Amino acid sequence: MTNAVTTPAVRFAPEHTSLCIEGLSLAYAGKPALDELTLDIPRHRITAFIGPSGCGKSTLLRALNRLHDLNPDVTRQGRIAFEGEDIHAAHTDVAELRRRIGMVFQAPNPFPMSIYENVAFGLRLQNRLKKRQRDDVIEWALRSAALWDEVKDRLHTSAWQLSGGQQQRLVIARTLAVKPDILLLDEPASALDPISTLKIEELMGDLKHQLTLVLVTHNMQQAARVSDYTAFVDHGRLIEYGTTDDIFTNPRLRRTENYITGRMN
Amino acid sequence: MNRKAAWHGLWPWLCAASVALSLLLLGLLLTLLLTRGLGHFWPAPLEAVTLTSGETFAGEVIREAELPDRSGQERLYFIGNRDNSAQDSHGTRFRWVSLDTILKREAPAQLVRLSRSPWGDFIGQLEAFEHSGQRLEDNAAWQALSQALAQPKNARPNARLTLRPLNGEAFIQPLAEVYRASRPNAMSWLSKVRYWADGVGRFLSQGPRAANTGGGVWPAIFGTVVMVIVMSVIVMPFGVLAAIYLNEIAQQHRFTRLVRIGVRNLAGVPSIVYGVFGLGAFVYGIGATVDEWFFSASLPSPTFGTGGLLWASLTLSLLTLPVVIVATEEGLARIPDAQREGAVALGATRLETLTRVVLPMAAPAMLTALILAVARAAGEVAPLMLVGVAKLAPQVPVDATFPYLHLERKFMHLGYHLFDTAFHGDSVQAAIPLVYATALLLVLIVLVLNLTAIFLRHYLRRKRATT
Amino acid sequence: MISPSRLRTAQPRRQFQDRLATAIIVVGAVAVLAAILAIGIFLLWHSLPVLAMPLPSITQKLTVLAWGTLKAALFTLLFAIPVALCAAVYTALYLPPRMRHRIKPALEMMEAVPGVVVGFIAGVILAPWVEQHLASALALLVWPPASALLAGLVWQALAPRRLPFNQAWLWLIPWLLAMGWLALWAAPLFEHYLLGVDLRYVLETRLGVDYATRNAMIVGIAMGFAVVPGIYALADDALSDVPASLMEGAQALGADRWQTLWRVALPAAGPGIFSAVLIGAGRAVGETMIVLMASSNAALISASPFEGMRTIAAAVAIELPEAAPMSTTYHLLIFAALVLFLFTFLVNTLAEVVRLRLRSRLLRLGGGV
Repeated sequence: MTNAVTTPAVRFAPEHTSLCIEGLSLAYAGKPALDELTLDIPRHRITAFIGPSGCGKSTLLRALNRLHDLNPDVTRQGRIAFEGEDIHAAHTDVAELRRRIGMVFQAPNPFPMSIYENVAFGLRLQNRLKKRQRDDVIEWALRSAALWDEVKDRLHTSAWQLSGGQQQRLVIARTLAVKPDILLLDEPASALDPISTLKIEELMGDLKHQLTLVLVTHNMQQAARVSDYTAFVDHGRLIEYGTTDDIFTNPRLRRTENYITGRMN
Repeated sequence: MNRKAAWHGLWPWLCAASVALSLLLLGLLLTLLLTRGLGHFWPAPLEAVTLTSGETFAGEVIREAELPDRSGQERLYFIGNRDNSAQDSHGTRFRWVSLDTILKREAPAQLVRLSRSPWGDFIGQLEAFEHSGQRLEDNAAWQALSQALAQPKNARPNARLTLRPLNGEAFIQPLAEVYRASRPNAMSWLSKVRYWADGVGRFLSQGPRAANTGGGVWPAIFGTVVMVIVMSVIVMPFGVLAAIYLNEIAQQHRFTRLVRIGVRNLAGVPSIVYGVFGLGAFVYGIGATVDEWFFSASLPSPTFGTGGLLWASLTLSLLTLPVVIVATEEGLARIPDAQREGAVALGATRLETLTRVVLPMAAPAMLTALILAVARAAGEVAPLMLVGVAKLAPQVPVDATFPYLHLERKFMHLGYHLFDTAFHGDSVQAAIPLVYATALLLVLIVLVLNLTAIFLRHYLRRKRATT
Repeated sequence: MISPSRLRTAQPRRQFQDRLATAIIVVGAVAVLAAILAIGIFLLWHSLPVLAMPLPSITQKLTVLAWGTLKAALFTLLFAIPVALCAAVYTALYLPPRMRHRIKPALEMMEAVPGVVVGFIAGVILAPWVEQHLASALALLVWPPASALLAGLVWQALAPRRLPFNQAWLWLIPWLLAMGWLALWAAPLFEHYLLGVDLRYVLETRLGVDYATRNAMIVGIAMGFAVVPGIYALADDALSDVPASLMEGAQALGADRWQTLWRVALPAAGPGIFSAVLIGAGRAVGETMIVLMASSNAALISASPFEGMRTIAAAVAIELPEAAPMSTTYHLLIFAALVLFLFTFLVNTLAEVVRLRLRSRLLRLGGGV
């Protein structure tokens, strides 16, 4: 604990910024979980949050689409802006916010419905598309998630029959189908085998041309492989933030270096 | 030390015996109900008994017992023929006979047993069948009678029977009062089975007759079903809404926990207390006010100010509310939060998450809740005695006149019918076989419902465990 | 480039529907809560006039009813507690979990049998039989349980491998049936040999005991039948929640199974068993149909097992429909119902709190070892 200094946040020009987090603090039932975080998340890039388990990186991710609203024990201070707009503003429609900022969870959570219905779920909420258009979007989403070839012949079988890796890609397809601007991924490969993990990582690389990705991972190699920017979070604080190359090859702080080289648990 | 150890080995046997005893008691109860309840419909053989005094009579053997005053046995016969004035036990349908006074027992094939409407069963001989001046005797008479009874009631000929009890004068019996006839001693095994099935069918489909000693329980089944349906329509929405509130919306505070414990304990409040509330608050409170406002024309005879279907259903909804809430909440709590978060993360509102993900997944739990509530309501009698059940309802609560469902009417209920027949009938002895059958029906309904609920729950747990 | 209204709702109808639904759910929940409160408030309000009545008339009436209620509950528990607790000990501690999960629902089926059916069997079938065969009935109460010990002795002597102890629940059934038959056969002989006359005759003439056909003994057995599964289920839960590590520890120190049960399992599960008995007592106090049908309903104060009683619940069921609304009897009966309500509510709350406390304690114990 030699370097308790918070490094200055990396800022981007507004037109390149997707999310702007300013002085964000969060507490669970009075117990602080995030402490005065300030950072910008660049558009059409992959940003990874790394840090030891329990450091608050998942908490931070869930703050970005206001998922903490479901838990009344959580209190928040600070501001998060999406495309320059405060997501906590009174006029914000949380449902619309969450459509624009999609999320993929640690364990695959397909609904107990058919594969088709899982992907159609978000579209049906909007209720704007005719069946033909919807079918097209579903095919597009499944292709984007690199799942189409595996499931095109059994779209109407239960999603729970898919393998873990397929389920996770199905969840990504389901999220892509509602055309989000940002995709939040909470350790999306931690429950998967290496081959599935590889597929998901390739997928992330493809997707960043369409949208902004934010990845939480405890796997440093993964962060190094796929992300453009990396933020190291510990004890609810942002320790260091920069390009992935900088963080992994040339960290400014001893604390970051210790974590990355595995000298810290 | 050794002796002590030996005792330690023996005590667990008492424990094992407790389990065995409980299962045995349950088994005995069910066996008793099954044999007595279903056995009643089996055509029992008839005996023609000649006594040492020279008297002859016909009857069905019920049971034997020891003589009260001296050693020896006596036998109870069901002899029917309440209208036979020559019978010294005139008006009763049973006769005890000491075994040592019996000279001869026979089972003549031509003994008939007729079920009749005003006077109950007749046991004796069919002498003649008269129809439009034609008189048929003996076997021909029996065949004509069988054919006539095979017709639907309104198509039967306007015939007259000549009947002769073994111990009395022949008399004329209009066919219109007879609804069933058998010659049990002449029946083949197959026709006995057919007769039995027909009897069970009649029991389930007809109304009670002859002060509940004959006929069936159809109005009671119907009343129970209607009451349970109305109750379900009331209790399910409120129970499910409350469960959703407790599990999905309320913050899990101390207050919510208190409410939850309160609801759970409500399940332990005696059912009679709900009956008291129903009578005081619904019947005398709301019902009387409704009468004053809307039915003042028919006062002082009450419309809603007396027990009826609506109040009974409402009372039982209150009674089953905790059952529904607890079972539904259990189902909701078992749905992983990941499912809710998944829906919410796609931009679903709370309502959409509920209706599209949570409730479909909780549907089997809600079904279990409904089944448990129905099982509880079907077997519950005490509160109904206060809020609207009837010994014999003149009208069923559903008919073809507007508004079709008559919520203010009294209705018959299987459980109360059982209680009333067993305790308040004018001839309990004669009604007991039908009480057994009613009890069996009630137990079967309730047990099947409970087993379904247990199976559903078990199946759900397994399904959850595998995914 | 960026319009400031990006996060404003595009579909106000969805938002409105959501708010409406939330409101409906809250209203539903409040209605349920209001209904629960209404029961308490109604009973309280309508029993207030009792305060204006002369005290002796109230106490006289209520004492009889309270006595009857407690007597019925006592005889019920006398029968139900040993059976239920013994059964729970057996299934929780001696049976493999798979078998336990099969037997438990079967025992719980006993609770599903409607009270009116149990009451009918007890009041119309059992009571007259017992009246005529009192000696046989008493023999049936005593001999089969004692014969289970005999079965244990025989088993220890023969040690049959094909009849393991964890299946004793099954093959003790025919044994009990045979022993019951033996008791039925032997009891009249003993009665004849020892007394020469009917036992009930002796009781009535020589000992001056009044014998009512429908009496406390019948009520105890019938209501015991209905209460056993409730006590059993909760006691079984409490006993199987006792961490296995705790019991293994005791056995490692050389205690045999029965000692482990007495010294470790029962004390650890004690509060749970206590709450099970409380729940059973609540049920016994409030049960209406069985008492109504299996007891004489005579309003008298007597402790004899061969005499009947009138309980609060039965009195309400019999008298309330005939009492004129707002009459003295009406208010008095509602007051009796209030007493019943408060008693069961308190007893159940106490049981629930004790049960939850114990559960978390045992979970901690299990996790800590």
